Formats: sequence, structure tokens, C-alpha cells
Amino acid sequence: MTTVTTDTELSKRFHWISRLLEGWSIYKKSFLGKIGLTLLAVFALMALCSSIPPLIDPMYQPMAGVDPEIFTATGPSTRHWLGTDFMGRDILSQLLTGARIAFMVGVSAAFMSVFLGTTIGMIAGYTGKFMDTFLMRLADMIMVMPALLVLLMLAALFGQLSIWFIVFFIALFRWPGVSRVIRAQTLSLKHRPFIEAARVAGASNLRIIFRHIMPNVLPLSFLYMTFQVTSAIIIEAALAFLGFGDPGTVSWGMMLQWVWKTGHMFKAPYWLLPPGICISLITLSFYMLGRAMDEVLDPRLRKEVETD
Amino acid sequence: MDHGEETILELDRIVKKYRTKAFLFGAHGQEVIALNEISIKITRGEIFGLVGESGSGKTTAGRLIVRLEQPGEGKIYLDGHDITSLKGKASKAYSRRVQMIFQDPYQSLNPQLSIFDTISEPLIIHKIGNTKAKEDVVWQAMKSVGLSPPHDFAHRYPHQLSGGQRQRVAIARAMVLNPEFVVADEPTSMLDASMSAQIFNILLEMRKKLNVSFLFITHSLAAARYLCDRIAVIYRGNVVEMGPGDEVIENPKHPYTQALIDALPKFRYSGDKKRYQTLIRAERRVPEHAGCPFFSRCKRADPIKCSREKPPLMRLGDSHSVACFFAEPGIKTSSGDNA
Amino acid sequence: MALLVAENLSVGYQTQNGYLRAVEGVSFSLDAGKSLGFVGESGCGKTTLGMAVMRLMPSNGLIREGRILFDGEDLLKKTDEEMRQIRWQEIAMIFQAAMNALNPVHRVIDQITEAIHTHTPSHNKDEAYEQVRALFKFVGLPEDRMRDYPHQYSGGMKQRAIIAMALACKPKLIIADEPTTALDVIVQDQILEETKSLQREFGVSIIYISHDISVVADICHDIGVMYAGQLVEYGAREEVFDNPVHPYTKALLSSYPTLTGEKSKLMPIPGEAPNLINPPFGCRFSDRCTEARVSCRSNPPMWLEITPTHKVLCHQCRKHCGE
Repeated sequence: MTTVTTDTELSKRFHWISRLLEGWSIYKKSFLGKIGLTLLAVFALMALCSSIPPLIDPMYQPMAGVDPEIFTATGPSTRHWLGTDFMGRDILSQLLTGARIAFMVGVSAAFMSVFLGTTIGMIAGYTGKFMDTFLMRLADMIMVMPALLVLLMLAALFGQLSIWFIVFFIALFRWPGVSRVIRAQTLSLKHRPFIEAARVAGASNLRIIFRHIMPNVLPLSFLYMTFQVTSAIIIEAALAFLGFGDPGTVSWGMMLQWVWKTGHMFKAPYWLLPPGICISLITLSFYMLGRAMDEVLDPRLRKEVETD
Repeated sequence: MDHGEETILELDRIVKKYRTKAFLFGAHGQEVIALNEISIKITRGEIFGLVGESGSGKTTAGRLIVRLEQPGEGKIYLDGHDITSLKGKASKAYSRRVQMIFQDPYQSLNPQLSIFDTISEPLIIHKIGNTKAKEDVVWQAMKSVGLSPPHDFAHRYPHQLSGGQRQRVAIARAMVLNPEFVVADEPTSMLDASMSAQIFNILLEMRKKLNVSFLFITHSLAAARYLCDRIAVIYRGNVVEMGPGDEVIENPKHPYTQALIDALPKFRYSGDKKRYQTLIRAERRVPEHAGCPFFSRCKRADPIKCSREKPPLMRLGDSHSVACFFAEPGIKTSSGDNA
Repeated sequence: MALLVAENLSVGYQTQNGYLRAVEGVSFSLDAGKSLGFVGESGCGKTTLGMAVMRLMPSNGLIREGRILFDGEDLLKKTDEEMRQIRWQEIAMIFQAAMNALNPVHRVIDQITEAIHTHTPSHNKDEAYEQVRALFKFVGLPEDRMRDYPHQYSGGMKQRAIIAMALACKPKLIIADEPTTALDVIVQDQILEETKSLQREFGVSIIYISHDISVVADICHDIGVMYAGQLVEYGAREEVFDNPVHPYTKALLSSYPTLTGEKSKLMPIPGEAPNLINPPFGCRFSDRCTEARVSCRSNPPMWLEITPTHKVLCHQCRKHCGE
């Protein structure tokens, strides 16, 4: 049997480094994965650039401030690469800020929902009986609630919702999906000999869940995070589009809202298309990332080298 | 007769039943009796073999001893104390004294934990020693199972080790708490012969150096002969023969034990006739739960007596017991009556 | 007349870490109606050998050199279509854990008749049915269980069904890879007996692959001992077991506990099998061999003839020649 020798001190201590590298070499082979990662890199760059003020005018603020020389929606020009919106604000700057918001919302909401879902899934799966039934029925109830509708109702009740409120609620609505999958995985791990060995060694339930089950379930959690990001971004965009987003932030959904509300939908394609395309592309790229990670995480899906 | 030696572990009339899930509304699941009133006494420092085929209940007996499951009836005694229904702290204390080596080295180690973490886990659970002390114990355990030099193996992960190496890690993990009693559940059935030999020798070493007692569960009579002081043969949840290893193998008295010995491939082309020939070709149909468990396959069986009465374990000579009415002419039951 | 002859067969797999030389330079010959056993531990290449004869290698497998002559014709030169014809009708295979390969949603009899029908479409349904009934009788399965589903069979019965399926088209050769490993001792013994009598009845040749030496000794006329992809000892059953010459064969035999005879200490073989991606240039067993000399590590071993039918791949065994 070929043994992988990890001979450097560093990789002995931080085994996860060598596993990361191994994972990377497998990831690299996936066509989808490379495209997805490239796209994400572009968006990440956009998000970073959003903090760099444009060189038009040091006092220029793309959100509130308007280009003093422009009063209407204008097409792309040398000064405004994507044109301006109906108030004269630079579209490109808005797009860049939207990227930052998308990442923030997407990743935070995904992280929170996966955190909740994993913990609840593991506890339900391992302890079983009453706790399991209770948690899973709770999950069922949340799953059947229409997330968007409830958020809209809340928005109607409380007025505009802040962006972090939205993130929190997305997480609250999305954890049940994750917990089902993690619970299933926990159930299958529960009876494996190494778990029984831990029980025989005298480990408490809590220790078994967090020391033995969790590391084996985390890869699945990470995978699910990528799917959750896409769903979070879309929910936020939908909310913003319907007018219930955070008015202080400019997200791509918000941009679409403005296009629609000011009646420029068919009049200003340079304004309509960029945010829409970005939403689709970022969703797609996270999905591709997830697919490629699938191969990294499950050794059985990897393809061996072919000979003729 | 214990000859004055301590009994470290005793199973007293243990019964374990399983109910398979009910199929449709109202229909009851089938009841399967895994262990049907088993009684075994193991002395300190002994390697006791429990030999049986699949479905015999041998693994269940092991699991009951380490308390992965509870018996339906009967009691288990460790060093004279009843441990059948321990809870909480007492249960945790029990796990320091009784440990288990699992059958499948590919599944009994957590793939996400390094070898060092796996072996030190029991020490962490029982809060034994500080970091340095733990490291010393783990190092020592690894050396004693032949994973030397320890620092070569400590940071590796199970998938980087061969089956034999993994099983040695499992043994180190079981021994690190210095238990008094270890259940070894078919520790070599998934390994090649040369690996198995290594494992056997490690177990013998452990017994010699630490005076640990073992319950060695196996389907191989030959392995039991090599390793065990005493052997019990188990068939469908019943102990059918028990005695010193050499005695049971050279002078088997129960037709099932004899059939097992007949069935083993010998190293010569067996044009030789089978020595005992106790099996009938087609099985008889029997009512469940009645009579001798071996009745359906036994050539020697009496159609009336053996189908109605279950033979108890009867003593033949010094320490050899058999559960068969016809094991020997003039055989006496433990109460002294003729069978 | 030799039914199957392999000449200098080398087979390997292309893996992420390099080319793995699973089988190297193996030659053997099997007569009609005889059985040949390949014994070795996991990773020695015996399963690969069996798959190579059937040309059932996975996509990353490669038969690098050698010839496989079946009935005088080189199997490696056949087209895929020709091999398809040969498989099952001339050469049948029983894979490891084959009993798990029975489709749980079809009745056993349907699966066997389908196998028959695929390979001999000329037989109509009734003829196939009759054939299966006869087969069941031969393998010792009760006729009234023909229409059962696989999960209703015990392990031993499933294995017998697999054997029946392998015999369905009356092949000349059966390659059986660990067919009784998952079975209990008593059932295994019954199946081995039945296999021997089937061989007498049908005159079929058998290649029997196992890690269990005692089983191979029981059933095979000739034995090949494999280590690290190479054949290290080859001869008639009595010769190899009563008079093992290769240090690995000797070590292997003494690592098995026995039921009879002296209870001597079991000698495990120290060390691990070599990496087959970069196997050592000299003898592959040299770093674990008790009789190794320095020359063993640097020079590849040659075949030595102990008797006309017994040969061994080793330098140090020269002293046994002519015994």
C-alpha cells in the first residue's frame, strides 16, 4: 500500500495544510471548479475595489452624491464606464458596492445557517428519541413557512429592515435544510465502530458529538455552505427588489428596484443588465465551487487517470 | 472448579433477545434469541476463547460485557461485583477496567483523528495525567504494540496505515487505560495471515506482561487453540461445549464441535474421510425454541428426546463440559442423575 | 493439453502517484479438468491476474506485456466483441463477494435464465428453465427455492446460486476469486466438496484465487504462490505444501495456526510488502527474508527448477535443486 509520507515538521504538526494541498490538487482538475473560482475571484476583486473611491472627484460619493454635471440616466462614457442611473450616480461604483454586500450577506447568512443546522442536526441525530423528534418537528415547521412572505410581513410591521436583520432571518429560515442532511449523516456515523469505541472508552455524549462526529460531518457542512450562499444572495436580492431591503445599502437587488421603479427598465439596458447578470453569475460560481468541492470531499467521486 | 484462582468476569444465565421491526400494521416483529442463558466464568490472567460461526451470538456476548448493550435477563459480574445495570460515574469507572478491540480495523479508528489523538483519547476522557504524562503513556503503548519509533506514526492518520498497523493502534488504544479485562472481537478476521500472527503474539505479550484477561471471540478453532487457555463453543446462542483448549480440540464431545473440526480444510487433499461425520445433509424442520439447538442438523439425535428437551451443560471429567445427552455413555448431569 | 497458458504477463494500473506494477512477469499453465490455485496476501496481484485473464480491467488498468493463450489463441489479441463471446460461454468468473452482486429485485431463476439467454440466444425460455433446474440440482439447491429472491437465501445458498450461474453456459474455465471467504466454515466445506465433484462431473478447469492457503491446498492440483506482483513459487500441491522452498512460502505456512500437531510459536513476517509503484530492483522479498544475502537486493531473482514440476523464484534456493 502506498503511504503518503509527510516528512516536513510543519506538515506533521499542521496536517490540515497537507490535506488542503491535496484537496487543491484534486480541485484543480475540475473544469467547473476552475471557472467558478475565477468568477469568484473577479467578484472578490470588485468587492475590494468598492472601498477605493473613484478618481473622478475626491468628494464624489456614488450613493448619495451625484455627479454635478449629470441629471439623468446616461449611457457608458469615459467618465462613467457603465453610465449613470437616473440621479446621475455612477453605476459601476454601485455594482462594486453591490458585490461587497453580496459577499457579506451571502457568506454571513450561510455561515450562521450552517452553524445552527450542523449543531442541531448532530444533536438530533445522536441523542435520538424525544430531542430528535422535537428538533425535527421544529425544523419541519420552519421549512414549510414561506420565508419571503414572512420577511415581507415583518418588513410591513417594522418598516424597513436593516441588512443584518435580513441576514439573521435568512439564517433562521435556512438552518432546517442543513440540519436534515447533517442529521442523516450523524445517524449513519452513530453506529460505526469508531464511535462505539469512544463509548466503550467512557466518552460522554457531548464529547462524542463534538470530538468524533463533528469532524466527520464538517466537510458536508462546508459543502452546504456554498449552496446556502446562493440562496441567501437571492433572498436578499428579492427583498431589495421588492423594496424591502435596507435603504442605506446599495445591493444589486436594490439597483434592480430602482431601475424598475423609475421606469427605466427598457430604456436603460446599461443599468438593468449589470446587476441582473451579476446576481446570476455569482450564484452560478458558488454552485460550481460546491460541485468541485464535492469531488474533493468524497473520494469515491474522484476519477482515476485513464489509460488507453 | 476454580482451583483457587480468581474469577475476574462472570456471565450468569445471560439472555439477550432482539425483536426485528414489525412489518405491517399490527404484525409483530420476529423475536430472535441471540443469547439463550449463557453462563461463563473467566479467571484472572486467562485468555478465554469464544468460538462460533456467524449468528452464534459471540459478538453479542462481547458487546454485553463492554456494556454497549444491556442483557434482557441475567447478570454480569466483574471481580464479584454486579455491573449489569451501572449508570453514570460507575459506568465510566467500569470503562477503565474493561475495554474492547474491534473487528474491523478500517472502521474502528476515527478517520479524522491522528494516531496520537486516537490513542490518547481514553486518557483525556478519564482525565489521567498532565500533557507530558499522557504523551509518555501513549509512547509506551505504541512501542509495546510494535509501532516503533512512535514519533514516526504519531502524526499519521488511519488511511495512511495498513490494516495490521491500524489494528495495532486499536490494541494500543484499548491498553492505554491499563484495563483488567479486554474483549477482543475477531481482531484478525480482516487481516492477512502474517498480520494475524503479529496480533496474536502481541496479545500473548500483553497477557504475560500485564496479566490482562482476554475474551477472544473468533470463528477459527485453530486460532483459539493457539491463543486460548480455555475455549467455549457457542451455537445459536447456546454454549455447547467448554473446556481447556487442547482438550476440546483433541477430544471434542459435542456433535457441533466435531462438525467444525471436520469442516476445517486440512493441508492435505482430503481424500481422507471426515473423522467425526456428525452432520446430516438436509436439515430437519423443528419448532422454534424447543429442545436442543443442534437438533435440526445432528446425526446422532434422538427424535423424541432431543427435539423436546434442551440439554444442559454437563460436566465430563475435570473441567470439560458438554451440552449433549449422548456425548458419552453414562454421562452425568451436574446434579448427579444420569442423562 | 494445456487449456490456459500465460506467458510473462505483466499488468498494472495508472494511478495519481504513478504506474503501479500489480503483476509482473507471471507465467503458468493449466490443463483441462484441473485446478490451479493462486495464493497470496492482499496486494499481491492475484485478483488483478484473474481480471486480466478475463480482460476485465478497469479504465486505468493496462496489460503491458505477455500473452494469454486460451485453447491456443491469444486472448490479448481478441477484439472486444470476441471477448464478449468468450466470457461466460468459455470462461466464467466468480468475483469476490459475488453473492452481493445478485440483483435484489429479481428472482434468482430470472437472473440465471437471463445470463443463459444473453449468451445463447438460441435457447428459448423453457430450455433455459430446464437447464437452471438441472444446475440447481447439481449445486445442491432445493428446486422449490428457484423462484425466491436473493434476500431469502442464506449466504451459502447465494454462493451456490452464483456457482450455478457461472456453470450455466458450460464454460471450460472458471476463475473464482475468494468465493468462500465470507462464508462460515461448515458451509465453506460443503461448497468446496461440491466444487470438487462438479469439476469431476463437468470437467471444467478452475483457477482458484485465495489468501487462505488451507482452502487452496484442499481443492487445487497445482499452486502458485504470489508476492508483490510476482509468482515466487509454483508447483504441484504436494510439492509446494510438503516441501516449500521459497522463504516467503515457508514464512506464510508457519504464520497459520493449525489444529493438529505441535503448537509452535507463530512466526509473523516482519515488515511490510513493498511499494509497487517503485518496487525494488532486486528480489522484492529480500528486505523481509530471513535467508537474504546482499546479492538478493541488487540482483533480480531467477527461476530455479527443483523438480520438473516445481520451480521457485529465488537465488538462495539453489541448494534445494535436484531434491
